[in-house]
Amino acid sequence: MIPISFFLVLSAVLFVIGAYGIMTKKNGLVVLMCIEMMLNAANINLVAFSAFLNDVSGQVFVLVAIAVAAAEVAVGIAILLNLYKTSNTTDVSEINILRW
Amino acid sequence: MSDIVLSLLLFTPLVGAIVALMMGGERQKYARYVAMVFSAIPLVISLYLLAMFNMSQAGYQFLEQYTWISTSFLHIQYILGIDGLSLVMVFLTTLLVFLVTLFSFEEKERPNFFFALIMAMELGLLGVYMSLDYFMFYIFWEVTLIPMYFMVSIWGGPRRHYAAIKFFIYTHVASLIMLIGIFALAFGAASLGGSGQLVFAFDYIAAAGFSGVFQTLVFGLLFFGFAVKMPLVPFHTWLPDAHVEAPTAGSVLLAGVMLKMGSYGIIRICFEALPEGAVAWQIPMVILALLAIVYGALACIAQRDLKKMVAFSSISHMGMVLLGLATLSEFGIAAGAFQMFAHGLITAVLFMVCGIAGHNIGTRDIPLLGGMAAKMPKFAAFMMFGFMASLGLPSLVGFVAEFNIMASFFFWAQDNNVVWVVIIALSSLMLTAGYYLWAMQRTIFGRVTDRVDLSHVHDVSTYEALALGALCGLIALFGVFPALAYDFIYPVAESLAALIGVI
Amino acid sequence: MTFIEYAWLVPMIPLAAFLIIGFFGNRTPEGGGYIAIVGAVASFVLSLLIAIEVFGGSVATPYVMETPWLKISEDITLNFGIYIDNLAVLMMLFASFISSLIFIYSVGYMSHEGEKKRRYYAEVSLFLTAMLGLVMASNFLEMFIFWEIVGLCSYLLIGFWSFKHPEGDDASDAAASAAKKAFLVTRMGDVCLMAGLFVFLYAFQSLDYAVLFDYTVIQTVDPDMIALGSILLFGGVIGKSAQFPLHDWLPDAMAGPTTVSALIHAATMVKAGVYLVARAYPLFVQSMDVMLVVALIGGFTALFAATMALNNMNLKRVLAYSTLSQLGYMVMALGAGGYVMAHALHSGDVEAVGGYTAGTFHMMNHAFFKALLFLGAGSVIHAVGTEDMRKMGGLGKHMKVTSVTMLIASLSIAGIPLFSGFWSKDLVLEAALEPALEGAGIFWLLYIMGILTALMTAFYMFRLWFMTFRGEEGEASKHCHGESPRCMTVPLMVLAVFALFSGFFILAGFNDLLTFSFVGGAFVVGGHGHSAMYVLEHLALSPYTYLSIVVAVTGIYLAYRMYRVKDVDPGRFNANGESAPYKLLQKRYYFPQIYNAIAMKVTYPVALAVNYFDREAVDGVVNGIAGSITGGSQELRKVQNGLVQTYAAVVVGGVALIVVLLYLAGFLTGGL
Repeated sequence: MIPISFFLVLSAVLFVIGAYGIMTKKNGLVVLMCIEMMLNAANINLVAFSAFLNDVSGQVFVLVAIAVAAAEVAVGIAILLNLYKTSNTTDVSEINILRW
Repeated sequence: MSDIVLSLLLFTPLVGAIVALMMGGERQKYARYVAMVFSAIPLVISLYLLAMFNMSQAGYQFLEQYTWISTSFLHIQYILGIDGLSLVMVFLTTLLVFLVTLFSFEEKERPNFFFALIMAMELGLLGVYMSLDYFMFYIFWEVTLIPMYFMVSIWGGPRRHYAAIKFFIYTHVASLIMLIGIFALAFGAASLGGSGQLVFAFDYIAAAGFSGVFQTLVFGLLFFGFAVKMPLVPFHTWLPDAHVEAPTAGSVLLAGVMLKMGSYGIIRICFEALPEGAVAWQIPMVILALLAIVYGALACIAQRDLKKMVAFSSISHMGMVLLGLATLSEFGIAAGAFQMFAHGLITAVLFMVCGIAGHNIGTRDIPLLGGMAAKMPKFAAFMMFGFMASLGLPSLVGFVAEFNIMASFFFWAQDNNVVWVVIIALSSLMLTAGYYLWAMQRTIFGRVTDRVDLSHVHDVSTYEALALGALCGLIALFGVFPALAYDFIYPVAESLAALIGVI
Repeated sequence: MTFIEYAWLVPMIPLAAFLIIGFFGNRTPEGGGYIAIVGAVASFVLSLLIAIEVFGGSVATPYVMETPWLKISEDITLNFGIYIDNLAVLMMLFASFISSLIFIYSVGYMSHEGEKKRRYYAEVSLFLTAMLGLVMASNFLEMFIFWEIVGLCSYLLIGFWSFKHPEGDDASDAAASAAKKAFLVTRMGDVCLMAGLFVFLYAFQSLDYAVLFDYTVIQTVDPDMIALGSILLFGGVIGKSAQFPLHDWLPDAMAGPTTVSALIHAATMVKAGVYLVARAYPLFVQSMDVMLVVALIGGFTALFAATMALNNMNLKRVLAYSTLSQLGYMVMALGAGGYVMAHALHSGDVEAVGGYTAGTFHMMNHAFFKALLFLGAGSVIHAVGTEDMRKMGGLGKHMKVTSVTMLIASLSIAGIPLFSGFWSKDLVLEAALEPALEGAGIFWLLYIMGILTALMTAFYMFRLWFMTFRGEEGEASKHCHGESPRCMTVPLMVLAVFALFSGFFILAGFNDLLTFSFVGGAFVVGGHGHSAMYVLEHLALSPYTYLSIVVAVTGIYLAYRMYRVKDVDPGRFNANGESAPYKLLQKRYYFPQIYNAIAMKVTYPVALAVNYFDREAVDGVVNGIAGSITGGSQELRKVQNGLVQTYAAVVVGGVALIVVLLYLAGFLTGGL
């Protein structure tokens, strides 16, 4: 059996890549994808522990999370589209009107 | 009747405020009659209380006690009760609210809201003077702030927003520090009592038996809260600004009864619950009092604005209250408490007069005025009466208070071998006479001013004259027969002095 | 029934008059003038009936009636009541009598005032109430209450024309300023007096005369406290009786109507200070030092004020300085007499004192002739419309009654034998002489001051009289419209009778009625003085009596040569008004400037500095705290820059930080 630590390392790597992408990428779409990546990193953890502990509820959570993430992506892309319509860009570093 | 009379007194103004508030739009012109009726009822009740009060009986009377919140952690009660001191303050509050309503009878701008605020303020003030539970006390203490804030920020002068916010934040911050003190008392009492339940009742906390160090520390917290309210130098700067901007009715209530909440708190809470703290803080209190007296009087001399001058004179006179209290003798405490009453009556006249000057002449700037006695004889007469009362003319109420405070302070100084400090206190009497007489010379006497357009000046109106006349009558009455009020206060002072004297 | 049981009515009657006039005066003829007169006369009649009882010995004095007023501590209760002895009766008598005359006179003098008459009569009635209350009070606090009310009346009446002055705006301003000055300067003394009351209240646990004047009580009290209290009390006297250095309000007080000057600033109120010394004599005589201070202040004031009267051209001002000087005489007499008594108390050999009699006697006589002088001056001013004596002259032809009565008063104040002033002034000088002859050298100085004052008094009074009533007519005299109406001249004549004959009271038993002595372990006012024959013999045989007569005649002769015959030019002595001493006198020794400097150059700048400090420092701190909080927040909110990625970075960084901290915490506590 593959040790649990392999899954954990994979998920950590994915999570960090996602986080790095969120912080550095300018394109809103890429940022959105990075968020998905982080979400999936978490999902991997859940599934791994679920299998490891023989508890099925972790997998249930993952399915719910995937469903919610799908909806979330839809909302996220809708926001991005609207953003593109109003400000003609998807560059998140230029969208800073929500400030002081 | 007598078992719910205090609740009746407390909540009549609330009903009045709600009814007055509903007199909007078309019905605005009836708001003042509503206000008149609902401010007359508490006055009548307080007169009833004066008549029914048993002076030979110690402790609180007309007690009402209900449990409000009771959990394993908190025990908050609704307790109302009055002793001689609270009774005098209750009388002063209801009287001034009634007279202020009369004085402002011709208020044109949103009268329904205006009168509702006055009555909401009365609710808070009466609550402070009658509640015997720290939690309620604090709630009512804060209730007084809100109407005052609106009164300044809506009906105020040109810098009203600055003044209102300054007033609110300054006194509110002080109240929060006081709240910490109140919680310290409750927690302290709970840990000493061993029950773990926070009880806020006055008598429970007074009986807790705190240690000396605890008393000294908590006294400081509470005293700060009260000192800002009184206000004492150097925590006074909210007062002149608030007064200058406030409408007359607001100023009268602010100086007449709201400031007294501070000194009342010192007597009722600091002295009663923390007698050892009072002894430890005696010297700082004396110093602060002397500072306030002299500093306030000197600042008065420099003022150009009549109302600002009167505001500073309030600081000086409230310093005198503290000076009496700080002697911690029955003589001094009674004198200080009597000064609270005296100053309440006198300062009302002063602020009404300033209000009339600002309203009828159009300016309160002393150098611009002159010879007003020729144009407005009634105004001049009331102004002179008020000023004379305030500078301590014998046969008027201010003198009795002033004389007793100074005498008690002399007694204290003599007993402590520091007689020379009396000179500082007495010098303020000269300064007080100086600024009042100088102001009169420049405003009502001498040549008629040509720097102000006097073509539309009119003298005091009937309602204003009625309110002022009633106050002047009372000032003279209590000046000639001070025992009428003093005998209510004295037993309270006597028991407090006995409590402190044990230490 | 005895009248003294109703003595409390004496001040109540004018009080009722005050209230009636105050509220309804304008609906009665003369603005309530007749009501005021009726009130004053009724008071006088009742006082007279009481006086007959008291002086006749049918009631025991002091007669005390008290009721509790205020309980201020366990042991101290303040009372309110009346305390009547010979001194109080004397004061009641002449206060109500002179008030009656002056109120009658006012009907003529104030006839042009219209609506203002109500205010005038109300205020003078209130004054009479307070004056009577002052002298009848049963304790120092009550006395102080009335003491301040007479001060208030003085303030109000000096400022009677402080607006709408008939002579215009400048005069209004001057009256307003004079009123303020009078109140403030006397207030200075009053604060001292108040402090004196505190001392007595502390030492005696009471302010009742009946307690304070009880010799057995006095002996139990620390003598230093009594001395301190007495000297503070004397501070009040200095203010009220206008002694040096608080004297300068009185000349300015002449801005009020002349009747007010006569009533308040000559005959009655300013005597309150002298009365207080006499009243508190049992306390004052406990210390020789206190009495020496009293005598010195009095003697110096007498001389000092007389000098300023020498070259003044204002009719009323001359009389005002003269009042100051005469008040100094009275205080000096009381001080010198008290010094002797204090000395005697220390050595155990106690006797009746002449100084006390001299002071009170001069107080009474002075009330008559000075009221007469002021009323005469009022009559003159009423007729010619100016107060400047240079514009007068030759008025004797037009105003016979005024000039003759003024002459009587002048002779009296100058101390010409048989006129009233002679008797009392001589007693005053003798009072100063007594300790001097017994070896207290400093009293020689006081005696010389007294003699010099007598010389000056005779000179300036006759200078005034010659300049006003004799010589060629001045410009203002030309439109003099004759003698004043009857209601003004009759009071003059009545007072003239007293100015002539009141001195003989000393032979009719005054000396016996108003002595202060120590009898059987108690202080007593009246009843143990020297007999009339003794006084007369003493006066006739003493060489000093003749000295003072010579001095008085010399003064009159000088004035005659300078201002009547005019063969001695007064300008010769002062370089025609250019010499330094002349100017110094004209400037009143720069006292107005000194007072002004204290107010405007010391107090006001300090006040301005305090106000500046208040705004900039105290309020600056408050606004500074508020400002730094809002300013700091302004800066801090820039952190919220609107960039999602920044927020995300902060979140990630924060989480990382927490993890690290938790790890460290676990590491440090040895867990994990």
